[in-house]
Amino acid sequence: MNAIDVAGARERSTPTRLFDSVGEQSLSRLLRPHVRSFAAVVILQVVGALAGLAPLLAVAELGRTLLASGPIDEDHVWLVVIAGAVGLFVRLLFTAASSGLGHMLDGQAQLTLRRQLAARLGRVPIGWFSRRRTGELAKVVGEDVSAVHPLIAHAPGELVSAFVVPLASLIYLFTVEWRMTLITLIPVVMAIALVPLLMLPARTREQEEFDAAMGRIADSVVEFVQGISVVKAFGGSGRAHGKFLSAVDDFVSTFLRWVRGMSLVAAGMQLALSPPFVLLVILIGGTSLITSDGMAPADLLPFLLLGLGLTAPVAALGHGFDDMQAAGRAVGRIKEVLEVEPLPEPVHPVVPQGHRVELRDVRFGYEDDREVLRGIDLVLEPGTSTAVVGPSGSGKSTLVQLLPRFFDPTHGSVVLGGVDLREIGSRQLYRMVSFVFQDVRLLRASVTDNIALAVPHAERDDVVRAARLANIHDRILELPHGYETVIGEDIKLSGGEAQRISLARALLADTPVLVLDEATAFADPQTDHAIRQALATLGSDRTILVIAHRLETVADADTVVMLENGAIVERGRPAELLAVDGKFAAFWRSQGGELR
Amino acid sequence: MIRMLLRVLGPEYARAMRRTVALMTITAVVEGLSYALLVPVLRELFGSTPDDAVPWLIAFGAAVAVYAVLRYVSDLSGMRVGTTMLHGMYYRLGEHLARLPIGWYNAGRVGEVSVMASRGLLQAMGVAAHLLAPFVSALVTPLTIVAVMIAFNWQLGVAALIAAPVVAAIQTWTARSMAGTDAERHERDKEASGRVIEFLQAQPVLRAGGRTGERFELLDDSLREVQRASRRTVLAVLPGAVGLTLTVQVGFTALLALGASLALGGTIGAAEVLTILVIAARCADPLLSLSDIGAGLRGAQSEIERLDKVLSTEPLPEPREPVQPGHHELAFESVTFRHGERMVFDDVSFSVPEGQRLAVVGPSGAGKSTLLQLLARFYDVDTGTVRMGGVDVRQISTEVLMAQIAIVFQDVYLFDSTIEENVRLGRPDADEADVRAAAAAARLDEVIERLPGGWAANVGEGGALLSGGERQRVSIARALLKNAPVVLLDEVTSALDPVNEAAVHEGIERLMAGRTVVMVAHRMRTVQRADRVLFLEGGRIVEEGAHDELLRRGGRYSDFWNISMAPVASE
Repeated sequence: MNAIDVAGARERSTPTRLFDSVGEQSLSRLLRPHVRSFAAVVILQVVGALAGLAPLLAVAELGRTLLASGPIDEDHVWLVVIAGAVGLFVRLLFTAASSGLGHMLDGQAQLTLRRQLAARLGRVPIGWFSRRRTGELAKVVGEDVSAVHPLIAHAPGELVSAFVVPLASLIYLFTVEWRMTLITLIPVVMAIALVPLLMLPARTREQEEFDAAMGRIADSVVEFVQGISVVKAFGGSGRAHGKFLSAVDDFVSTFLRWVRGMSLVAAGMQLALSPPFVLLVILIGGTSLITSDGMAPADLLPFLLLGLGLTAPVAALGHGFDDMQAAGRAVGRIKEVLEVEPLPEPVHPVVPQGHRVELRDVRFGYEDDREVLRGIDLVLEPGTSTAVVGPSGSGKSTLVQLLPRFFDPTHGSVVLGGVDLREIGSRQLYRMVSFVFQDVRLLRASVTDNIALAVPHAERDDVVRAARLANIHDRILELPHGYETVIGEDIKLSGGEAQRISLARALLADTPVLVLDEATAFADPQTDHAIRQALATLGSDRTILVIAHRLETVADADTVVMLENGAIVERGRPAELLAVDGKFAAFWRSQGGELR
Repeated sequence: MIRMLLRVLGPEYARAMRRTVALMTITAVVEGLSYALLVPVLRELFGSTPDDAVPWLIAFGAAVAVYAVLRYVSDLSGMRVGTTMLHGMYYRLGEHLARLPIGWYNAGRVGEVSVMASRGLLQAMGVAAHLLAPFVSALVTPLTIVAVMIAFNWQLGVAALIAAPVVAAIQTWTARSMAGTDAERHERDKEASGRVIEFLQAQPVLRAGGRTGERFELLDDSLREVQRASRRTVLAVLPGAVGLTLTVQVGFTALLALGASLALGGTIGAAEVLTILVIAARCADPLLSLSDIGAGLRGAQSEIERLDKVLSTEPLPEPREPVQPGHHELAFESVTFRHGERMVFDDVSFSVPEGQRLAVVGPSGAGKSTLLQLLARFYDVDTGTVRMGGVDVRQISTEVLMAQIAIVFQDVYLFDSTIEENVRLGRPDADEADVRAAAAAARLDEVIERLPGGWAANVGEGGALLSGGERQRVSIARALLKNAPVVLLDEVTSALDPVNEAAVHEGIERLMAGRTVVMVAHRMRTVQRADRVLFLEGGRIVEEGAHDELLRRGGRYSDFWNISMAPVASE
């Protein structure tokens, strides 16, 4: 038992060091809980691989016995045969166990990685997403994690045995005949000499370009599929969108360049390591040693049998090289995501008192040089509704997105119930603020789950009540499975319907602060009506902030705020502002023709 | 496998592919045969006059040289064929995807197609470049070696040969039993990939719902399923791999024992036995690698099958003798259309005379947008006919039909490039002045002025960097630029803020002038611009006529508008 423990301790550092050699401490940190299993994988693999030498040694020993002068020792022959057979059996058992265990471990580790990625992506600032492509991020969680597979399932065991076994063979061969051993190493040295050529900066750059080109294909295909209706309407139906095709051309030419750069060197390596070439070198060396120096012919056999195995480390490196490099790059991308600063959570969360909202000299820009909000001061009293109006691009959407803390202001603060949003725990915040935005995203889940997103254990009655209030209940009942209909699978909802589901979602959450981007894009009369109805019903003690497009909504609001170019240009009661006859009045008049 | 690959690829690649496979086979045979020369070399070395080995050694060296050249040529050829096929395949897939009916694109397709087009295709085509050569050599070289063995000693050769059918049987059995597991695993991967995309796109909503990563069960469940599926794959792959190893090892052990007993009995010289054992040991590695290569091939094969499935999905049929519509009257004649289980239209007929404007009004889900899509032939009807200029749209070639129609969608999708490029999509060969004029008419010029970078400003994925109103303006400009005789509008002005709405109406008015227009309308202001109104509900036309006339009638149509006018009941 002690021996096993000691062996375990000795092996324990091995996987960690391996990953470090790829330069990825973060990954090894993630994998630390699995270290014992890794050690087991490595030990089993090494034992199995060493046992695999037995049949080869058996052949060599058989040769020595048969070629020896004098009568043949039959018992010895059979002993050798049995030893070979046993070695093979041990090898089978141990490598199978190692490989099975390694793959199980791999599945576990991939799950852990993906969960960590999802958890991190669930906490980064929303603004971070607008600069990333969905396709690229999805690739990190999906393919890149899968690409780590060789690193976890294969590298520890196979790589270690690829070095241990040749080392053992080498020691044995040196005891047989040292000059012959050096000759046998010639092909390995030749192959290793070529390795630096594979790692020239030009090669690495080509490799990176290759990955980038691959990423562009994934992006452009996502775009292509999502924009298919545009492609069909404008692109000429038989012609795929040019961007996809140019990404393809780009990828193929990068790939070819890469192949061209690699092919001669790779071919040289492959030839040096190929069995016929290795055998040729050994035979030439062996023949000259036997004829000139009188080496025992039987001593040539171990070299013929084990010599091929000496190429294993280089072959393993070369063979697994692409995969390992790909895995290394994938780990880099995974790490990049895992290292994104999440929207900071307060260390000592403060519970807000009440739900008065204050924006104090709030400035914000998505990019450093372009401010979208330039010093907003605004107070939203409980029990009042505030309508934000203004031309497109004036910063309305950005303003309302600060309340659910999609972004933190670059300057100034947003205060809820006397507490800076940055001091409020996110759970607490979302219990207090809900929103209905134009860009409605429904999940591929049942209608009920979609409505109850913020209140996972909501009573059925409450869900129905919210749906009724949002004027979508009747439509839901018409769906194939009513409230259990899976959106996006059983049925595709129209824009207005989706908006009403999202309204029902906010109504069910029943938060004291409601932020609403009055739907314009798909709104139909029912949705309009539902939203106004909801606003009127909610009234009482709530704090409501709404981006208003409809005259009625503006008229119903307690306060109107006119936004222009990131700043508040007018504010007050709708009637007062009309009396002033300023910018809001002009806006009001432009609306005048809207109804009747 | 290769056959399916060739079918998917089409005949133009078949020859290059066959030549490559032939080259690889020859290379493997040459490798196997070269080992035959080891027998005389070792016989002389182990004999009394080792010097006699030299001529044989030179012959072996020559064989190795031939092998080296062949291998280089065949590897290169594999790479080249693989790349050419990859390129061709991407083009085929791209063009096919563009031809598939919009109805094919449901929610799950985006994830599926993007996986297929990135990793999937690469994996499938990588077969030729990376897996084919090892596969051919792992099969052909051992077989050649067995033939060599038979030539030198039939007993040992036959013993080795017995392993061949067992290896073949195990390979076939593994392939068959793995197919299901592989398919399931792929299904889980696909599901998870869709969930990840959903998870990312729905971040704002999920955050507001307090659902950060660890609490979003939909994603977590699918990730766990991925892990379970991979565990099942491991368990399923193990018996095959172990069986193969066992067979190879039993075979080698048998050769060892048989060789020992033959040598002891004196039927065969020690040198021959030893050489045969040396080259038999050479067989073991490639044979054992078969299980890895097999897994790779299966992965590629299921990828190719999926590709094949997509490629064999029929796009809407093109007419054999296309007819050019003479004018642009639009008509539905007794149209019935189902979308999945749902009956969208049930015997709907109407017509829009050339140059007139029809407004389509109705509650959500009444099929208003679908009506426009049928006119543009995004789907084919189940029964009845959709006509343009009296011609069945199925008789008009897609190119011609699309050239007649400008569509402004409800759901504006912009490509991740500059504003200019997005506008230019309307008519790629338009000159600068036309593009600017269209932009000005859609009041896009104001947007452009404000954006850093102006015309060259990037709009982000799906147009994310523009506001809803700004996106809509790009799409109007695009339609204006296209200058087509038929205009389909899916409630265009609703996304514009009131300040600019009046101005954009000007552009829309210009877009509609003198053209045949069908517009889906949610706002009365839009409807008032139409010559006639069609009120759609439950898959049927409930009312039809001029706006004022329908309002006076006091039926469903006037009820519909009254809802939105009605004062809201307050507490």
